[in-house]
Amino acid sequence: MKFFAALLAVFVLSACSFARTGPEPGTLRMNLGAEPPSLDWVVTTDSTSFDVVSNIMVGLTRYTDDLKCRPAGASSWEILDSGKRYVFHLRPDVKWSDGQPVRAQDYVYAWTRLLDPSTAAQYAYFFYPIENAFEFNTGKIKDGEKLGIRALDDWTLEVTLKRPAAYFIYLTAFCVSLPQRKDVVECWGDRWTEPEHIVTNGAFLLKSWQHEYKIELVANPNYFEGEPAVKKIKMFMVAEQATAFALYENDELDYVDNRSFSTADVERCRHTAEYHNTPLLRNNYIGFNVTKKPFDDVRVRKAVSMAIDRRIFAKILRRGERPAYSWIPPGLDGYAKESGAAFDPEQARRLLAEAGYPHGKGFPAVGLLYPNREDTRLVVEAIQDELKRNLGIHIDLVNEEWKVYLETLHRDPPAMYRNSWGADYPDPETFMNLFTSHNGNNSTRWANSQYDALIEAAEAEQNSAARAKLYERADTMLCREQAPIACTYLSTQNLMVKPWVHGMAFNALDMQFFEDCYIGDRPPAQWYQKRYRYQKQPPAPGQQAPVPLTTGVRG
Amino acid sequence: MLLLICKRALMAIPVLLMVATITFLLVRIVPGGPFDAEKNLPPEIVANIKAKYHLDRPVHEQYFLYLERLVRGDLGVSYKYVNRTVNDILADALPVSVQLGALALLISVLAGIPLGSVAAVKRGTSFDFAAIALSTAGISVPSFLVGALLIYVFGIYWKLLPVALWESGKHMILPAVTLSFWPTAYVARLTRASMLEVLEKDWVRTARSKGLSSVRTVVKHVLRNSLVPVITVLGPLTAMLITGSFTVEYIYAIPGMGRFFITAVINRDYDLIMATSLVFALILIVMNTLVDIAYTYLDPRIKVKS
Repeated sequence: MKFFAALLAVFVLSACSFARTGPEPGTLRMNLGAEPPSLDWVVTTDSTSFDVVSNIMVGLTRYTDDLKCRPAGASSWEILDSGKRYVFHLRPDVKWSDGQPVRAQDYVYAWTRLLDPSTAAQYAYFFYPIENAFEFNTGKIKDGEKLGIRALDDWTLEVTLKRPAAYFIYLTAFCVSLPQRKDVVECWGDRWTEPEHIVTNGAFLLKSWQHEYKIELVANPNYFEGEPAVKKIKMFMVAEQATAFALYENDELDYVDNRSFSTADVERCRHTAEYHNTPLLRNNYIGFNVTKKPFDDVRVRKAVSMAIDRRIFAKILRRGERPAYSWIPPGLDGYAKESGAAFDPEQARRLLAEAGYPHGKGFPAVGLLYPNREDTRLVVEAIQDELKRNLGIHIDLVNEEWKVYLETLHRDPPAMYRNSWGADYPDPETFMNLFTSHNGNNSTRWANSQYDALIEAAEAEQNSAARAKLYERADTMLCREQAPIACTYLSTQNLMVKPWVHGMAFNALDMQFFEDCYIGDRPPAQWYQKRYRYQKQPPAPGQQAPVPLTTGVRG
Repeated sequence: MLLLICKRALMAIPVLLMVATITFLLVRIVPGGPFDAEKNLPPEIVANIKAKYHLDRPVHEQYFLYLERLVRGDLGVSYKYVNRTVNDILADALPVSVQLGALALLISVLAGIPLGSVAAVKRGTSFDFAAIALSTAGISVPSFLVGALLIYVFGIYWKLLPVALWESGKHMILPAVTLSFWPTAYVARLTRASMLEVLEKDWVRTARSKGLSSVRTVVKHVLRNSLVPVITVLGPLTAMLITGSFTVEYIYAIPGMGRFFITAVINRDYDLIMATSLVFALILIVMNTLVDIAYTYLDPRIKVKS
């Protein structure tokens, strides 16, 4: 007993000398918030995994600061046959971490693996526009050779689509389209993503992965765009926001984002130089099941949509949210402010009266379904209050545990529900396709052939101005004329970044790249040249500045 | 003794089978599935996933498949962490929880038994009242509050100890103290109550009247006789501590097993839910057997029926 007591005393006393503050030279310390479910980019679907993968891998293209595709693994590409055929010319200097060059066959293998039914990849459907992809993924075709993905030689990749899909180029910058090495995946099976086996081609290399705790990346000295200035990245997996923020305040993390940042901390730090707020391509909405009363009447849907003052959400959520009136967020082609539903309580009351509910009288009992999260509770309570005040109707709030809520939405959507959608790629298609009649995520059950035709035409349209017009028209139909949804607000990313961290870029797709980052006061040689190599030119005088889709922090 | 261990091992089989069966049925009754996500998947993709994990088969077939794997020591695969098996996950997480739990147990025993003993001996004094107040606080204050308080005082305000993470020995102190807070209080209360009862026994009075010093009487005789109820609770307490605490692991960002008791259910990660239940049941059985064996050493009157 005495021995153990003495041991414990020595242990405690020796430990009480801890006081580490300030930066770790050349090291960026961040919080992932959770264990990445997988680093096999063919089967990943979540942003945590993408945060790691997008820093260790590079595909055919990457995003510029204004979220356009720029050359990366491919030095150039051609779009042929009215948008049905893409030919990518690969850079021979892009190397895997074991020194082998990244060949066109590596893309063919990865994309075929993604579509192979035995892989059971959840995001395989993203590649359904490719010729025979759907048939192969559903087992109707067994031969992967019949897919519209071919390596013409080591450095040329040809992709043939079923029909033109103007957004396809964006998929080449998406995580699921990254190349893979057949020999490595087949040799190590499920364990190929462990640090001792994985081969990558990005700015950083996976050095270690302590599951549920920490991932360490180190700079890739052979990266084709030059070795990054940050030599090491420590990615912790601290789930508790208060703990993560305490680590940040103790200088043990160099930056934190929404995952580690409670609303109370946002309030406290909003006016400091370390705080940054950046827009996200994530729209939140209230969906109406148009097959259920009273939302089978378009006038009721429009009345509810027009009775909500979207400005309240920023006040109650306090994380810099922006009001959303249209389904396409600002910054994407097809966005037009006038497409959205305006706040007009007078008109809303008129419409409700026309529908047979003057001053809300006789309005049936309606429940608004929401998942059990604190922020969603605040949102639905605000909507309940708005509808009571502006229309005189009462709606019940129905709360369900996340998975139960999802099952309810997919099986039997209620009359009214709260949901959100984040863009997978910076194209209006990712939002607009959601409410086509055939989309499995359309829980409104709204089916409109005219809308479907507009979306189909927009997908095939190669002229970007004409395409934007088609989406604008469809958005007007969705938000103003038919209103199966009422958009509420656009989410934002809240960040705290230590003063010694420079050159961080956060884009609206919630992707974070660290290759242009440096720690300390002085940028490394040629840093400016590298950081701004794909920067869009500033707008000409008199021209309207575009909506910022990437926020750079100190640099 | 060996016979007892063998007998307990045989008895554990139907218990574990029952735990496996009930858990298997419960997780499939609960609404929501492992692949329900914000983005609803096309039916073709869902069919591929279900085929991969044999979830397209009838429930009874899935059950027998699971048992067949279980017999081979294969606890299945995680649906959430797609490239990892449940065996991998437990192999990574359980040692961390065991390490933290063992340290917390050590603190509980080293602090709880002396605290309870002194409080009993000094019954009615200010020390006794302080010990009672402390143990009541230890039992009633939730660990997330204790953790937050310790982080603020020792981590942020005084900067003496790390706020969180699991890097070195000093990172273990705050989580171990937080985790031990409740069991220390429990052990102290139990020791005090048990010792007060023993102190009233005639043989204690006899020992004192024969001139045995008070310290010797308490330490050598009373304490030993008071420990039987404490040892009884140490079995389940150890099982609870070494399988991890969701709260403590969560607030200190410790990669232990405790979090899986909650997150596996939230994610409907069927095989992981099964594994956490089975591991907990197994450790509980082992600890109860060890407690039964410990009785015989503490009190020779107790004989284990082999």
